[in-house]
Amino acid sequence: MTSILELTLPLELENLEVVYHHVATAIQGVSLKVQPSSIVTLLGTNGAGKTTTLRAISGFLGADNAQIVGGRVLFNGRPVTGRRPHELVRRGLVLVPERDKVFETLTVQENLRALVPGWLAWRAGDRPRVRLDQVFEYFPLLADRRRQLAGYLSGGERQMLALATALLCRPAVLLVDELSLGLAPAVIERLMILVARLRDELGLAVLLVEQNAGAALAVADYGYVMEHGRIVYDGPRDRLLAHADVREFYLGVGHRAGRKSYTDVKQYRRRRRWF
Amino acid sequence: MTQVLATTVVVASLYALLAAGYVLVYRATRVLNLAQGDMMTLGGYFLFLVATSVPGQPVRAIAGAAALSALSGFLIYRLLMRPMAGHPIFAAVLVTVTLGILLRAAIVLVYTDRIRHPLGLLGLANPARPLIGGAVVSTFDLFTVGAAAALFAALFLFLRFSPLGIQMRAAGEKPLLASQRGINFHLVFALSWALAGFAGALAGSLYASNVRLDPSLGVLGLKAFAVALVGGLDSLGGVIPGALIVALVEVLSVRYGDPLLADVSPFLCLLAMLLVRPWGLFGTKEELERV
Repeated sequence: MTSILELTLPLELENLEVVYHHVATAIQGVSLKVQPSSIVTLLGTNGAGKTTTLRAISGFLGADNAQIVGGRVLFNGRPVTGRRPHELVRRGLVLVPERDKVFETLTVQENLRALVPGWLAWRAGDRPRVRLDQVFEYFPLLADRRRQLAGYLSGGERQMLALATALLCRPAVLLVDELSLGLAPAVIERLMILVARLRDELGLAVLLVEQNAGAALAVADYGYVMEHGRIVYDGPRDRLLAHADVREFYLGVGHRAGRKSYTDVKQYRRRRRWF
Repeated sequence: MTQVLATTVVVASLYALLAAGYVLVYRATRVLNLAQGDMMTLGGYFLFLVATSVPGQPVRAIAGAAALSALSGFLIYRLLMRPMAGHPIFAAVLVTVTLGILLRAAIVLVYTDRIRHPLGLLGLANPARPLIGGAVVSTFDLFTVGAAAALFAALFLFLRFSPLGIQMRAAGEKPLLASQRGINFHLVFALSWALAGFAGALAGSLYASNVRLDPSLGVLGLKAFAVALVGGLDSLGGVIPGALIVALVEVLSVRYGDPLLADVSPFLCLLAMLLVRPWGLFGTKEELERV
């Protein structure tokens, strides 16, 4: 028997199902687990349901006329399904969104103050109390630009500012939506290494939603692959890196001449055709 | 000449108090609160209400009226504006128009449309004060200028330096992102309405003490709306030059033109501004395109 403490995961989804506009099923039966102090990546192409999953976790479905119709979200072992976004943040479930991630009319320093840090935690002592000087240590660039308006920052700097602000919210679990979106490969690599440092030094659990599988798997401990609203494959990083389909469709390597075309692969054939 | 200047500053202060309410609510929630003028009238009647229950205690009466007005601003957001979230902003603006009409009607029902002078109930007088240079203003004129200066200084410090003020600016820019940072933006928005109610009540109480109190004071709110637009609806700093310009034109048209012209002069200023620079003196062009 394992003890209760070991069973309590920072974040766990159980058979989550989300429907848009009462008719269109976006994700179906999505279950995933995020272990403490680890990076879990959720991979998938456009429209696979990754962002919907994140929105369901962070309580943002209402704005899009979507709702959770089945399953539940467990945060530190307690169901948080349907809680309001700002309450989730104060409990330590913090999202770095895909776009619109900084307040453009505020300076960098004001951005770092425009938050209510988590205090509604059950075990607040377990959560890293990140201070401003620590944040500037992780992101020295922000210290130089602290008086600049965030609207003038570049894409990479915005991402850093968004990560820094999220850290100051005192997360227990950090949800990151498309860290690599629109950034140069060198910048992506630096950011991924930073996320790995946050995991190692602060003990953060991170759910990293990515299209860029190569960059994500460079730092992730475990990965899930999502297609058409379902999890189709999951495994530890090394198993994903070795998997033939993942290598071909997500990493773009390992293609052998004369091998099966993508339409032959099971996941891609599932779509019904008229002709 | 000094009299013109003095009167301009006094009138501008009253407008600035009211226009601050427009800008605060607009910056935070993107809603034009067209009930601001009637919220001012309500503030004046709150003063009358408190003054009749505790006569002769001006400090208590004014504090009570301000608190009641801030509370009513908060409740207006909570009960009327929050359910409008997710609907077109234009619908929310219509709600404020209706609210203004209802407030005016309610005031007439309770207090009739008699002209009142709460000053006597407060046990205060309003003696004339000669200034250097030969201009004469009333004591409450000076209070109005002082209140406007204090309110703007306080708002500046609040929005620039206090955590809550920064949260308000953040929530005004991107409410969803704000809630991803743990900010309860509905609470922040309600606070902006409370502040607008407070500023309106300051204007209403001062005007009621200084001039008169009757249910049609809300018309001043329309003039202040012109002030807010001339200064730039999204700029709190723009309110001050906007108020000075509109007040100067109004004072000059009383002095050298027809007093009847004075009532429309704020709107002539607004028309001129809309032709030249539709986003106002200190507003942002992009902001206008979003509206």
